[in-house]
Amino acid sequence: MSIGALTHPPSSRRFLLIAHSALLIALVLGMEQLAPMFRALFPDQDPAMYQRESFLNLTLAHLALVLLSSLISVSVGVAAGLFVTRPAGREFEPLVSTLAAIGQTFPPAAVLAIVVPIAGFGFVPTLVALVLYGLLPVVQNTVAGLGTVPSQTLEAARGNGMSTWQILWHIELPLAMRVIIAGVRVSVIINIGTATIGSTVGATTLGTPIIAGLVGNNLPYVIQGAILVGLLAIVTDLAFERLERRFSFGEEGNAA
Amino acid sequence: MIELQGLTKCYGDTRVVDDISLTVEQGEFCVLIGPSGCGKSTTLKMINRLIAHSGGKVLVGGDDVTTLPPERLRRRIGYAIQSIGLFPHWRVADNIATVPRLLKWPASRIAERVDELLALFQLDTDGLHDKYPHQLSGGQAQRVGVARALAADPDVLLMDEPFGAVDPLTRDALQVELSRVHRQTGKTIVFVTHDMDEALRLASRVALLNGGQLVQYDRPAELLVAPANDFVRDFIGRADLGLKLLSRRRVEEYSRAAQRTRNNALASASITWQVDADDRPMALLGGRLGEPDTARTVVTPEWTATPDMSMKEALSRMVWFRVTALPVLDSEGRLLGEVTMSGVMGHRP
Repeated sequence: MSIGALTHPPSSRRFLLIAHSALLIALVLGMEQLAPMFRALFPDQDPAMYQRESFLNLTLAHLALVLLSSLISVSVGVAAGLFVTRPAGREFEPLVSTLAAIGQTFPPAAVLAIVVPIAGFGFVPTLVALVLYGLLPVVQNTVAGLGTVPSQTLEAARGNGMSTWQILWHIELPLAMRVIIAGVRVSVIINIGTATIGSTVGATTLGTPIIAGLVGNNLPYVIQGAILVGLLAIVTDLAFERLERRFSFGEEGNAA
Repeated sequence: MIELQGLTKCYGDTRVVDDISLTVEQGEFCVLIGPSGCGKSTTLKMINRLIAHSGGKVLVGGDDVTTLPPERLRRRIGYAIQSIGLFPHWRVADNIATVPRLLKWPASRIAERVDELLALFQLDTDGLHDKYPHQLSGGQAQRVGVARALAADPDVLLMDEPFGAVDPLTRDALQVELSRVHRQTGKTIVFVTHDMDEALRLASRVALLNGGQLVQYDRPAELLVAPANDFVRDFIGRADLGLKLLSRRRVEEYSRAAQRTRNNALASASITWQVDADDRPMALLGGRLGEPDTARTVVTPEWTATPDMSMKEALSRMVWFRVTALPVLDSEGRLLGEVTMSGVMGHRP
């Protein structure tokens, strides 16, 4: 989905972001206007329009789930990444990396199967699955990003009288930010897609029409849910790309 | 200004710095030099406590460095390393302002100080103020690094092979500039290098280290004429000793008054400079070996000298252009005096 974004110059990438955002908002608010089209395309399906809940509510619930899970993943992931790159936590690096990797190798469906008996149906088990699933890219990129800061830069910072906290805040984090944001980007994009699975255990997401469509053999439902999830992922990806470019010191992005 | 007393650093059983004692006086330019692994860099970093010492004492301005919190100590001591030490996400002005900001100077004073330093290092052109480090040339980046070290006006400046990563031409220019800044500011500088020519060129005192021990601590000329032992002799290099001595001497110390004439007529001296109305030399009359004293050689910029040029460079120009005298010019191109072969031989007027 980001092939266009890679080959187009920044100005047209900005246009892509605006165009996709506009399309997303239009579809979220006005999917019902397309009812005649779906009826024409799928004459045998009745109803051809998902109407049990508004798409606006589904999208907001989806976003809330992704936002909250990403917030937790990023806080925990960055904190863990910071901890294992400090002198005090260095020996825990392999352990934390392994734990984060296990979190991602576990299929989200399996996590749901384990968490549902403990936490019940709906929002909570989905949140747990998404948090575990989104952790690895954040931890990995935090460690990698902090590792790209040249040791001479750190020595210069120390030699000029910065304290450990000042070095972390003014030097290490800004310089690692681009790579960290790239990790957050991957994590959020994965979660936007994975959140749909939450609907199998009763969470309200854009996956709800998809699951309903799959169960009831209703293709229009699947399309209506999937197109919104897809657009949401594209818009988020393009937005993160712009954010990342702000932190590209010493490369094309920030030079101008 | 700086006093090392029996300074020692051990890693396990190995003593990388072994009982070094030396004193660097106020305004002195002390160069620590020696082969790789001799402990010169470690010694430097123990002065601002980037490395903790295992034994002995370091006094800066009379205070034991361990009595101050390390951050406060380091803000009082300038520190410059290779250009990669600039913060890549900060503009030139922000980089220079690092220590003043840590010391919470008011913004107006910081801006003033940054402009002052940009001017001192001749960086006040091309909007360099707002550029990022990757947009600078190697020489410019290095100047910014030294400017940053001087920003809070510290009495002491520590430099760890600051010119190690630049090409020879730029390195030359930076050395000339650092000498000038040292003369202008009177800072006490401790400078680490492995390049003997650089040491001889910059230092007012050289500390030669080997295997963690101080072998000789002396003025550069003494090091050349009175080496303490064979190691010193080997390290300086037995070849080109005369040239090395010349590289320490500056033209202004050995130049003498010049004979001038306004026309082609030969004056009484064997070397006479024909000058124009502004006292700029146009031609040399005489002064060429194997040619009559009437020979007229047109002066070109390639074989002129300036007061702060080294005698080695002056000799090189004499040999190359086959003249026995060079005109010494001021910045306007006016004739200040002349430097001749007898000056090269060490004869002071």
